[in-house]
Parts: sequence; C-alpha cells; structure tokens
Amino acid sequence: MVAEVGYGRERVRHVEQGTATQGGRLSEVRWVAWRSLKKLTRNPILLFFSLFMPLIWLVLFSQTFGNVFSGAARAQLPYDYVAVLLPGIAVMTAIQSAAQSGFGMVADIETGFMDKFFVAPIRRSSVLIGKLVADGLRMAGQAGIILLIAYAMTLLAGWRIPFATGLPGALVIMALAAAFGVAFSGLSNAVALKTKNTEATMMVSFTLTFPLLFMSTAMLPKPSLPQWVRDFSVINPVSYVADAARALVLTGWEWSAIGSAFAACIVFGALLNGWAVLAFRAQGK
Amino acid sequence: MGSLKRVEPGPQAPANLPRATRSSGASPAPRGAPIIEVRDLVKVYGGGNGRRKQEEVRAVDGVSFTVHEGEFFGFLGPNGAGKSTIIKVIATLLGGTSGAVRVAGMDVATQGPAIRRIIGYTGQSVGVDGELTGRENLTLIGHLYHMPTDLIESRVEELLGVLELREAADRQANTYSGGMRRRLDLGAGLVHHPRILFLDEPTTGLDPHTRNGVWDYLRKLHRDERMTIFLTTQYLEEADRLCDRLAIIDRGKLVAEGSPAALKAGIGADVVTIRLPRDEGFEANRARALQVVQKVRGVRKATAFDEGVSVHAEDGGAALLEVMRLLDAERVPVQQVAVARPTLDEVFLQHTGRAMRVEEVKPMSSAGFGQRRR
Ligand SMILES: Nc1ncnc2c1ncn2[C@@H]1O[C@H](COP(=O)(O)OP(=O)(O)O)[C@@H](O)[C@H]1O
Ligand SMILES: [Mg+2]
Repeated sequence: MVAEVGYGRERVRHVEQGTATQGGRLSEVRWVAWRSLKKLTRNPILLFFSLFMPLIWLVLFSQTFGNVFSGAARAQLPYDYVAVLLPGIAVMTAIQSAAQSGFGMVADIETGFMDKFFVAPIRRSSVLIGKLVADGLRMAGQAGIILLIAYAMTLLAGWRIPFATGLPGALVIMALAAAFGVAFSGLSNAVALKTKNTEATMMVSFTLTFPLLFMSTAMLPKPSLPQWVRDFSVINPVSYVADAARALVLTGWEWSAIGSAFAACIVFGALLNGWAVLAFRAQGK
Repeated sequence: MGSLKRVEPGPQAPANLPRATRSSGASPAPRGAPIIEVRDLVKVYGGGNGRRKQEEVRAVDGVSFTVHEGEFFGFLGPNGAGKSTIIKVIATLLGGTSGAVRVAGMDVATQGPAIRRIIGYTGQSVGVDGELTGRENLTLIGHLYHMPTDLIESRVEELLGVLELREAADRQANTYSGGMRRRLDLGAGLVHHPRILFLDEPTTGLDPHTRNGVWDYLRKLHRDERMTIFLTTQYLEEADRLCDRLAIIDRGKLVAEGSPAALKAGIGADVVTIRLPRDEGFEANRARALQVVQKVRGVRKATAFDEGVSVHAEDGGAALLEVMRLLDAERVPVQQVAVARPTLDEVFLQHTGRAMRVEEVKPMSSAGFGQRRR
C-alpha cells in the first residue's frame, strides 16, 4: 500500500514520519469539532443572543412568578424563586441549542460541504461525533455563563441563590447541560437528515421542546405541578436533569438524582442519536 | 453498449483538421496504466417500496469506460445526462446500483477508504465553508487527510499563491467573489496532492476571464504534476481545449468516445446547418429538406435534428449554394444557414440528434449528497 499512500513530492517524507494515512479517530473528531467551534466564533451576534434569550427568561420568569412564594413562605425559605428556576433555565438553554443542532447539517448538505467530509479518508461517524462534541462544549459554556451571571446577581442585586455545592456543583450542572443537550441534538440531527429542510427541523424541534420543558419539573418543583404533568414528568428526561441540577443549587450533593439524570441522558441520547446515525448512514441511497 | 462508437484517429482523417493544440504541447503522452475502470455501471435513483415508493430515475444506464494514468479525461454532456452521478460513484460518494468500478485497482464498493486517500474531488456546488477563512478551509482539509501540520502549512501557502488567493487568505470565504470561491474549492481538492483529481463542472457560471485562469491552472497541474484529471463539463470549448480524451454522455449513456480531434475527424467533412422556422409546417418542411439535400453532390450524410437539418459535405461552401437553390425551388422556408468546420457541437448532434445546450441549473439540495460506500 505504501506506494499509493501519501502526498506527491512529500510522499516519502510523509510516510517516513509515520503519520501516513490512517489517522486516529481523536484527530478526526477534533478537527470536525474545531470547525464547528470556529464557525461559532464567526457569529458573535448569534452567540450573544443565544445567551441573551435565556437571561431574559431568567429575569422575566423570576419577576412574573416571583410571588409563587408568597409572603410567609418567602420569609421562611432561604432562597428566591429564581434559585428554583435557574437550573431549569440552564436546561432550557441546552435544549434550545440542541433544537438548532440540525441546521448546520442541512446547510452542509446544501452547500456541498458535507461531501468534503465524505470524500476525505475519515470515518463517517467522526463527522457526527465531532459535531456533537462541539455542541456539547457550547452547551456547557452556555450553562456556565448563565450560572456565572446568576452568581454575579447574588452579589450585586441581592438575589438569594444558595449555590449549595459551589463551583464543583456548577461544573456538574454544566456537564449535565452538555449531556442532555447532546442527547437531544440527536432528534434535531435526525429530522434534519430525513427532511434536509431547516424549517421542518425547526418546527419539529421547537414543537417538542416546549411541551417537554413545561411538562417537567424544570420550571417548578414537583409539588407545585398539576397531577397529570407530575405523572408525565416521570418519563420526561428533562425532569431528571432539572431535579439533579436544582438539588445541586438548593440543597447539596444528591448522588442518586445526579446518577438518574446522567442515566436519563444516556438512554434518551442513545435512542435519538441512534436514529440520527441511521439517518446519516442512509443518505443518498 | 452496442451503440457506443469508439473513434480513433485513423489514416482517413483529413490532414487539414489539426489536432486540438493544447498548451501542454507535444504529442499525446504515452498511455499509463488504467487507473479508473468502469464496467456496466447503472445507477437508479428512487424506487423503494410501499409507502415510500418514489418514481425511479435511471440516471446512469450501463456505462463502461477506462481512464489511464496521467490522462486528462472529460465527460461532455448536457444537464441531467448523468455526469455528476458517475463522478460521485467513482469518487466513493455514492453507491452504484450495479456494475463494477475500480480506482487504481481498488474496488469502490469495498475499498473506499484507501481510494479516498489518493483522490481529490471538487463537486458541482462550491463546497467551501463561508464562515471560515480561505486559509482555514484549506487547513481543515489537510487535517482531514491526516497530514502533518508543518506540511499542511507549506502546502496551504503554496496553493494560496498559485490560486491567487493570498491577499484574501485571512478573510471569510463568504466575502469572496464567485471565481475566488471556485478557486478555493479547487484548492481544497488539491491539498493532499491527489493522484487523481475529479472536477464536476469546474467552470460553470464563471466569467470568461476567470475560466481561462482555471484552465491554465488545470493544464499546468496536468503537465507539471502529471496528475490524472477527470472533468465533467457542459462546455464544448472546455472539453475541446483541455481534454486528451472525451466521452460524450447523453441520457445516462455514453454515445461516443475519443480525442476531441478524432471525434471531429470522425465527421470527416464540413458541416452545413440549416435551421427552419419553428411553425406548424416545421415537421413537413424538415422532411422535405432532408430529401432535397440528399440530392446535392458531395453530401455524405444528412441528419434531421430538433431545429432543422444538418448536412455533412466535402466542400461546405459549394454544397450550401446548391442546397439553397434546391430548397428555394421546393419552397421550403429557411430561417438560418451556417457552414462550419466540424466542432464538438456537430459531434454531439450527430450522436444524439439534438443540439447541445448549456443550462445552468442549481443542483437540488439533496442531489449533492450521497451514500458513501464502505
Ligand atoms: N438524488 C437524486 N435523486 C433522484 N434523482 C436524481 C438525483 N440526483 C440526480 N438525479 C437525476 O439523475 C439524472 C442525472 O443527474 P446528474 O448526474 O446530476 O446529471 P448531470 O450532472 O449530467 O447534470 C437527472 O435526471 C437527475 O434529475
Ligand atoms: Mg451535474
């Protein structure tokens, strides 16, 4: 094979350097992810608004529903409603990023850029994994920024948020947001690959996003939910992630909640991303 | 397969038909070993069963040909002929329905990864990432080919230079002009010094000046790096000026194959084209014209095509006079006449019965995307 390997005049040198042709998967994933992240930095406005929106939610929700805890309850509790809401908003941000994950896929197919990946000697799966890695990093970053701003508000505006587990807890919340977001990206990517249409992807993703969010414990703790929503929230992965994140903010390390949250992400993620992988493999048959 | 005519330059080729002179100069290079072998390739799109059943499109219908190492090979055909489909199957982007395709002796169905390492592919739609800079686009490709970083840097610098993109190298590609994007896309197919370069309509939509620039560069690549180049085009001139050898493709079938000079020599005469007015009487007039021109002395062959009649005659000028006189006497209305040395236009017309027309159609969004074989 050596005769067929390599790059023109540099062929020999290239082979000697032992880097020849079969590159590691890690490098493939890294460069696909690098490209996605690079693109992100080229859209500062988009980046700004993808964070701005959750912050608006945070402020609006805490103002509007702030009196959920009325007078007496408020005095008893050591925290504000915004502390209950914060983990939900972090999850919501991840889910919204995930809903858009497929857009890039559609664009790459339309422009023909996807063929650049496919004609290169990399594993097809690296294209999907690299994209998910970039998505995950972005989602973790978004969650981190939201937590950071909330923390700043406790110092500056007197918001009462306990941050019971401190920085390590914040890192776990970021990891949860990333895991959940990556899991949910599978849906958007699968629909994108099936329809090759941005509008359809947006419709399907957003139509599912909001019910999932509101039929979960993301916005309100379980006891405040109507019974049927409480029943549904048992099979809603959003609830597990929100509960674990909320515990990290309000009370402390609840390992079983954290474990269930990651488990929910894995199950849910395997299903949705499995679907995306099938759709990816079936392209152009 | 039976209809495929292989035209080789023979002793009967008139001496006054010059071989298309390319700047690569010299006589045709000695043929290398076969590097692309396509046998009875068929590609049917759609189909499926039950609820998902779509109309079937037989895009490629039993195509066979061979390209030799170091050759500049071209596919000439109108829009929808099947050019992109075939090039994608060979470049391992799309699976064929049946037939055998080998690249450098490797089977596209089973040895895709090894093939991908030695080929470069530039698709019909310009697949550059507009949000990355020109330099980043090329660098990324280098990494996708697992090249060492220092090698990528020098290679990217070199390509930016020859493609005249150095000034714009650190600007996002979506600020580039159409020609610059094309050149960048071409560069992306070259980062890893491929042995075979596939180009799907590389100059469609370019202005003449930029097109000439691309042609010069491709000739240089072919000459200096002895790269095998496989190009598809709708432009007769492009096929004529660049390719050592051509296959003419129409409706999924190859209709002729040979060097541009040999294909033209195959007509072996001047071409008189008579276009008739497209009115109610067109069919009848064309039938009469066809009869009339057969009687003219020196006419070798007359063919009806969709706009009138095409006549091959030893002395075009003399034949034209006679043809006009006879048509006038028969009261056949004529809209336009032309005498020409044969061009690939006539070659196409002769083999397909239709005039070649260039249509620039944006590819369907999904058409650019294929099942990669493993
Ligand atoms: N993905 C696809 N699905 C269905 N039909 C297709 C697809 N791609 C191409 N075709 C059809 O196959 C035929 C050949 O197309 P193509 O190979 O793109 O031709 P060319 O490149 O010569 O213009 C056309 O009729 C086209 O409509
Ligand atoms: Mg095409």
